[in-house]
Amino acid sequence: MSEQNQSFILRAIKDVAIGNISKPQITDPHDIIVQIGQTGICGSDVHYWQRGRIGDFVLNSPIVLGHESAGVVTEVGSSVKNLKIGDKVAIEPGVPCRHYTVFAATPPHNGTLSKFYKTASDYCYKLPDHLTLEDGALCEPVAVAVQICKVGNVKAGQTIVVFGCGPIGLLVQSVAKSYAAKKVIGIDLSQSRLDLASSVLNSADGVFMPPPMPKKEDGTSHTTDEESEHSAKVAQLIKDKFDLGQGPEVVIDATGAQSCIQTGVHLCKKGGTYVQAGMGRENVVFPITVACIRDLTIRGSIRYTAGVYPQAVDLVACGKVQPQKLITHRYKFEEAEQAFETVRRGGEDVLKVMIEGVQ
Amino acid sequence: MATQTETKNNSFILSGPKNIIYEDRPVPELKDPYDVLLQVNFTGICGSDIHYWQHGKIGDYVVKDPMVLGHESSGTVLETGSSVKSLAKGDRVAMEPGVPCRRCVRCKEGFYNLCQDMAFAATPPYDGTLAKYYVLPEDFCYKLPEHVSLEEGALLEPLAVAVHITRQSNIKHGNTVVVFGAGPVGILCAAVAKSLGASKIVSVDINQERLKFIKKFAEPITTTYVSQKISAQENAANIIKENDLGEGADVAIDASGAEPSIQAAIHVLRKGGSYVQGGMGRDECTFPIMAACTKELKISGSFRYSQGDYQTALNLVSNGDVKVKDVISRKVSFQDALQAFEDIRDGKGIKVLIGGPE
Repeated sequence: MSEQNQSFILRAIKDVAIGNISKPQITDPHDIIVQIGQTGICGSDVHYWQRGRIGDFVLNSPIVLGHESAGVVTEVGSSVKNLKIGDKVAIEPGVPCRHYTVFAATPPHNGTLSKFYKTASDYCYKLPDHLTLEDGALCEPVAVAVQICKVGNVKAGQTIVVFGCGPIGLLVQSVAKSYAAKKVIGIDLSQSRLDLASSVLNSADGVFMPPPMPKKEDGTSHTTDEESEHSAKVAQLIKDKFDLGQGPEVVIDATGAQSCIQTGVHLCKKGGTYVQAGMGRENVVFPITVACIRDLTIRGSIRYTAGVYPQAVDLVACGKVQPQKLITHRYKFEEAEQAFETVRRGGEDVLKVMIEGVQ
Repeated sequence: MATQTETKNNSFILSGPKNIIYEDRPVPELKDPYDVLLQVNFTGICGSDIHYWQHGKIGDYVVKDPMVLGHESSGTVLETGSSVKSLAKGDRVAMEPGVPCRRCVRCKEGFYNLCQDMAFAATPPYDGTLAKYYVLPEDFCYKLPEHVSLEEGALLEPLAVAVHITRQSNIKHGNTVVVFGAGPVGILCAAVAKSLGASKIVSVDINQERLKFIKKFAEPITTTYVSQKISAQENAANIIKENDLGEGADVAIDASGAEPSIQAAIHVLRKGGSYVQGGMGRDECTFPIMAACTKELKISGSFRYSQGDYQTALNLVSNGDVKVKDVISRKVSFQDALQAFEDIRDGKGIKVLIGGPE
């Protein structure tokens, strides 16, 4: 009988359960097996649970959820040189089979919320002794933030504006600061999240809460044009408040919200860069003419590329980025569904929710 | 010695210093589900094959054990591994002869030519393609369209080298280019530069026969210059004057490895120009470092090929932009391979193809 490998499984839309799958076996000499110690929950995990799809990735059969993990190496393949049994590792969850790509917890591939997980040794990064497995698991969203800064070409001495002070927005601000950005501004609608940016993580030099659109006298709702106009006004408010002159070098949206996307583009200086990191509606009303006449560079950012994950581990290891401060809730493995429910209901008090590994 | 018909996998082997033998080697097996077994049809000879034959080493790569030579090949698919999707028995392919580890940072960045654990055909200790059979992963085989011959397929390797060199130079449409060396690589660099929209190409060599060839091959925008035994600055000034290059060329490529060429290349460039070291000669040379500095030149090395280059080479041949067929001086049968090696060693012909064992 195969050894138990308790896992948190998404069986169908809104149907999760703890079940047993087979324990992975090493088949490739470069593979390793990791006993998962900690897993953070990402919006995408919740989205698959609630909607069963994200874009082209559709749930057709049960998958194990989770992809932000760290653990301890329990077995190594015969060609593995960089790791040994007992090493604590951060796991980069997207392993290309090197002819095409496989990403954990993206249907149809299983995620990391199991007791044991098999992966390629060159996608695991040994954690220095002073980092915990929680730190290791948080390297995944840090890597996302590092990639965003790489795509945005964030450099020392620049001014960066980040829309959104959720986990990704806050980490992008932190990474930009670690790159010696001159000024980092965080934008959000929640005061407590703005406080996190300015006082707890110290990831932002300044924070701003955009004012809502004033209600119309006749009580009707705003037109698309009126919303667009308001977004442009907010951009000017931000420029004035923080003395941004023509505008910041880089604007990053980590909200996916239409109003932020519009304000973000209006905020860019001529020749500036705008990075779309947040995921919201698939289609939005976009200030395309501003993008054109200001010669903007507009990039999307997704996951991470070669060299980014190890950089993220380094930033956490040397303390320049402190993702542990984002943890608001901790759950045991048996409480995984509750953990997911906490993320699903959301709220200002929910940032990073961690699930401990199977004991 | 067994005749060819009695051997299973007749191979052309460098067995010792300047010593070539034919030997029957075991037929290679598919080891990985993505592997493909090929019958090698044509192999071109490269300067490196000659060099290993004559000198037994190139830099740190030393031939310690007998090694099959050759790496510029095309072949036909005989068998495919269980995960192979894009190829089937009978497909004719160009063979990209260097398989990287796919795990290191360089590989993941796409610079797989810089992989520390690259397994490259006919670079010790790896056997080359001058045999009947060879195994490669699916993604290192490029299926040839109907109208591209196996002979042309064997030319994709040096053409990919030329594609990579021109990519390293960051050549832009309208640029002026000077290529030093009119051997196979220099010829192909001129052709690639032409396909990328160079406005003027000057080919430089001491061999007038080769210059005549290259002028026709990359006409009409290509002119030639015969290097003289004068200073590098003077040669460069002549090239600029005779070709109306204004302040100097935008791009200079060395495909010769010769010190006078390298020096002249630096002097022929305009301020802010790009230089690419493609040719291989002596390990060290006297280099005009101050000119490089004050002219703010961009200097790059170039080694083999990386992401997309082989496919680009195939596209250039397939759509007729580079007529590689014209570069083939002659074809010899597998038994006459040594003769072909001797000819190339003695400077006869440009590209000689060796047919695979029947």
